[in-house]
Amino acid sequence: MLEHMEPSELKLVGRKALRVEGVGKVTGEAVYVSDMALPGMLHAQVKKSPHARARIIRIDTSKAEALYGVRAVIVGKELNYKLGLYVVDKDILAKDEVRHYGEAVAGVAADTIEIAKAAVDLIEVEYEVLPAVLNHMDALKADAPLVHPNLGKYDYVPVFSPQAGTNIPNLSKLRKGDVEKGFAESEWIVEREYTNPSVQHVPMETHVAIVEWKTGDEVNIWSSAQSPFTVRNLFCYTFKLPLNKVRVVVPNVGGGFGGKAGIHLEPLLACLSRKAGGKPVKMRATREEEFCLLPCRSALTYRIKTGVGAAGKILAQSLTLYWDAGAYADYAVNVTRASSYSAAGPYDVPNVKLDAYTIYTNKPYGTAYRGFGHVEFFWGLERHMELIAQVIGMDPLEFRMLNLLKPGSITITGERISDHSGDPAKCLEAAAKAINYGKLTPQEKAREERTGRKIGKGLATLHKAPAMPSFTATAAVVKMNTDGTVIVNIALTEIGQGSATAMAQIAAERLRFPLDRVKVTIEKDTDKEPYDWQTVASKGIILSGNATIMACDDLLKQAYETAAQVLRAQAVDLDHDAQGIFVKHRRDRVISFPQLSVGYAFPDGNAIGGPLIGVGRYIAQGLSNLDKETGQGLPALDWTFGAHGVIAEVDCETGEYKVLKVASAFDVGKVINPDIVRGQAIGGMIQGLGTAICEGYIYDEKGHLLNPSFTDNKIPTAQDLPEEIETIAVETAQLDGPFGARGVGEHPMISVAPALGNAIQKATGAELLHMPIRFEDVWRAVNAKEPIDNWITKTPTGSCRSDPATRHSSPDSAALP
Amino acid sequence: MLHKFRYVNPGDRSELLDLLAENGSSAKLLAGGTDLLVNIRGGVQRPQLLIDVKKVKGFQGISWSVTDGLVIRPGVTINELLRDATVRDKFSLLAECAHDLASYQVRNRATVIGNIVNASPCSDMAPGLLCLGARVVISSKRGERELPLAEFFTGVKKTVLASDEILERLVVPAAAVGARGSYRKLKRIQGHDLGIIGVALMKKDGLISLGISSSAPTPVLVTGLHEGDAEEVLVAASRKATSPISDVRCSKEYREFMIGTFVKRLNREVK
Repeated sequence: MLEHMEPSELKLVGRKALRVEGVGKVTGEAVYVSDMALPGMLHAQVKKSPHARARIIRIDTSKAEALYGVRAVIVGKELNYKLGLYVVDKDILAKDEVRHYGEAVAGVAADTIEIAKAAVDLIEVEYEVLPAVLNHMDALKADAPLVHPNLGKYDYVPVFSPQAGTNIPNLSKLRKGDVEKGFAESEWIVEREYTNPSVQHVPMETHVAIVEWKTGDEVNIWSSAQSPFTVRNLFCYTFKLPLNKVRVVVPNVGGGFGGKAGIHLEPLLACLSRKAGGKPVKMRATREEEFCLLPCRSALTYRIKTGVGAAGKILAQSLTLYWDAGAYADYAVNVTRASSYSAAGPYDVPNVKLDAYTIYTNKPYGTAYRGFGHVEFFWGLERHMELIAQVIGMDPLEFRMLNLLKPGSITITGERISDHSGDPAKCLEAAAKAINYGKLTPQEKAREERTGRKIGKGLATLHKAPAMPSFTATAAVVKMNTDGTVIVNIALTEIGQGSATAMAQIAAERLRFPLDRVKVTIEKDTDKEPYDWQTVASKGIILSGNATIMACDDLLKQAYETAAQVLRAQAVDLDHDAQGIFVKHRRDRVISFPQLSVGYAFPDGNAIGGPLIGVGRYIAQGLSNLDKETGQGLPALDWTFGAHGVIAEVDCETGEYKVLKVASAFDVGKVINPDIVRGQAIGGMIQGLGTAICEGYIYDEKGHLLNPSFTDNKIPTAQDLPEEIETIAVETAQLDGPFGARGVGEHPMISVAPALGNAIQKATGAELLHMPIRFEDVWRAVNAKEPIDNWITKTPTGSCRSDPATRHSSPDSAALP
Repeated sequence: MLHKFRYVNPGDRSELLDLLAENGSSAKLLAGGTDLLVNIRGGVQRPQLLIDVKKVKGFQGISWSVTDGLVIRPGVTINELLRDATVRDKFSLLAECAHDLASYQVRNRATVIGNIVNASPCSDMAPGLLCLGARVVISSKRGERELPLAEFFTGVKKTVLASDEILERLVVPAAAVGARGSYRKLKRIQGHDLGIIGVALMKKDGLISLGISSSAPTPVLVTGLHEGDAEEVLVAASRKATSPISDVRCSKEYREFMIGTFVKRLNREVK
């Protein structure tokens, strides 16, 4: 995007700056949808299925409707709409059949939450329980019940390949070279299977929306959502409304992590509002509803077979990914597609055969989650690299370095890596150095002596490109005020990633203004902001950053044109500073930005120009669709490479462990704001540790989710931070990135788990194939005991809830301590 | 699920005991509410009446004397216990248990007696109190009775309390002063978590006591062990007293192993 600029020339980019929205957040003044109330607003609640799969025989809502204060009750049958991001497979409320535990079967809007809850209790539903398919590997069997018998009739986006008559809403394939020949030439062949369960995003603010469907089909939506334009698009697609009838407003968002990327409560609330005469209807999911009414991250079974030549070069890989979509395809089909061009990692592999299946099961459905599949498949891939190194007798670092992509390498989709693609080797080296990889320091040896625990060090690499359509686009509008300050309108949502601050720095740098003269809007409104595809995929910095630069340039061009007339000079001879525009070789006369901001007025009253409003439009360049049979094409806007190094201290007798240090390095191209990069690196790392150490959905054999709350679905706390954290930014400029920058929002979460698993293996020899890595899993691996697979458990009752009276039984009730 | 209930806030003991006598079976006593309110929200408990004990005269505070021992009343929160100088100086085992209970915020609300009467198998306070030989004083309109804590629990979330009774005082006898002990709790994360298992070990006058949680339908007390007993003897005694199960938190096998491990570790650490 930009010609190279020396760091010394940059005044704001690459330097620290406080978050532009920070004060409101730390004082509590920032407004979230959770805080909002509108005049006459109703409150919604939903009736949820206690079964994983059942036929709805009868729903009786008469008692609920008769309750004083109830304004609308709806059931699936009266809603003739289909929802879906890529495969249009979901009803707003379950119609004939419920497909997962916790699925909504009826909705109520009432004057208060209490009345709405009481009304939900009064709704009677009669079910015929049907055999459910829970394990995604079982769902592939010929005699498995079909979660969606109508799969062949659903609309879908053509880049996907639903398999009618099966539980497979998408199969993505990739073929590179000749994999059989590669295996034949291999000295070693290593094959393993790696697994991980579903997990939950757990944003601090649960899903919440307010919707009013007014007379004349004018719909207003306030939502805690990542992507206002996607909510609007999907909403209008489902209800067949013109886009200019529906307005989506997103104020501050209390965390998204992918879980708020699509459309969620909005359609249901819209139908309730319409039925209640247009009153605004609000619903905020409970924490328990986050776990089973709203989507999660898909489980994965990843089979990897790798052939390695005598010198340690990988010659062939057969990769099969089985993604557990749960009951609906949602984002899982696109996670599958993303894995089909990424799941070999940042390695140079000449021969690859890859098949990635999305599989329906009767469980809460999977959606986008920070990393978009990469956290899951890198667990397997980077554990596999460690195990291969062990088999062939090479140090795992050396083995990785030997096989990493380098300039000239061809990726598995046929993309040639260049000097500007980013440097995975530099990241891996930096992470290795930061943990003193391969040896124990005298202090570490002393610590081992003192504690009787073993210290292990492990590494893992990572990469990720934005998973997005080839034509992904965005726009920015920069408007000057009469005092020379500017407002930047973009629809990239600030969900904690720091994009508003980064965009302010980019705009101020480009305009040569101090930072406090630039405001980036926080509240996003589809009626006011220019289009943006979505706030996902770590693509914001490149796409919105470039659009912002172009909008600034456009504004300056307009200002220069007016100033040229005032100064009676050619625009080419002009230059500017923060104050205004002047002739380069005669700097004594400056036309200030306030003078130009809404048009310049001469002393005699004549005026020229007009309000300075710059527009920047940017669309991804040169990407192509992947061939459906071979997976060849150019899917990646950019690759952000990275690596983690983990030092763990393990009790070899019990499997208890502690994470002493995590060092993370990412090739971010160019740091826009060092504190925000570090914040993302640490936040992602700890979220990755959660996935690595403790998180995971556990079901009983009937498909009831046994841990839909923080009682038994633990996430890390501040006390779980490693003793030491080091973050390293590598800067290999991205040629089409703003100031050379590329995205790093998701990457810190990827590959934390395998780096930890590798460190634990180094300390104990434990060959871990499943994450999370609980103490018991390490103990079992060390002692060569059969691993426990309790992700669908035969022993649903706990020591603390073995009294049937206190057992969790309904999705409407909370889990118990 | 929405549940409606009445709430009363008696100011004196006789009023409270009257309320209990009249409403006993449909009433629940409310102190910190960290279990009760969560259960009501979840639809698991549906009391008609909540009787708040926090404002009852005489139900607050901790007292200590050589004659009466350490007396803990119903209003005492976990953090109050942790701030008490006598507890810190003379009953550090109790402080250790309290410190491992939930998070700081929960400890501001949760009460010591609430943690006992809730009778969860994974009670954090019970292991230490059992080792220390704590006794419970139970009151009702009918009168007062006192028994060892070890006889208080009867099953998962079940106790000897009749519907008109309240556990009015927890008493740790002065004779327990001088005991050395420690508590270990196996958790899934470093931050607050329920115990996967919990073991308290106490040594005094040549004897060893074990208090173990999350390993049987109730917290259990193991006595009759001696300093100098082989580790295997201690582990065997702990195994005999417990009957862990497999659940979403852990397998029975690992629980059994970790109880033994913690017993051995504590026996080495408690000098």
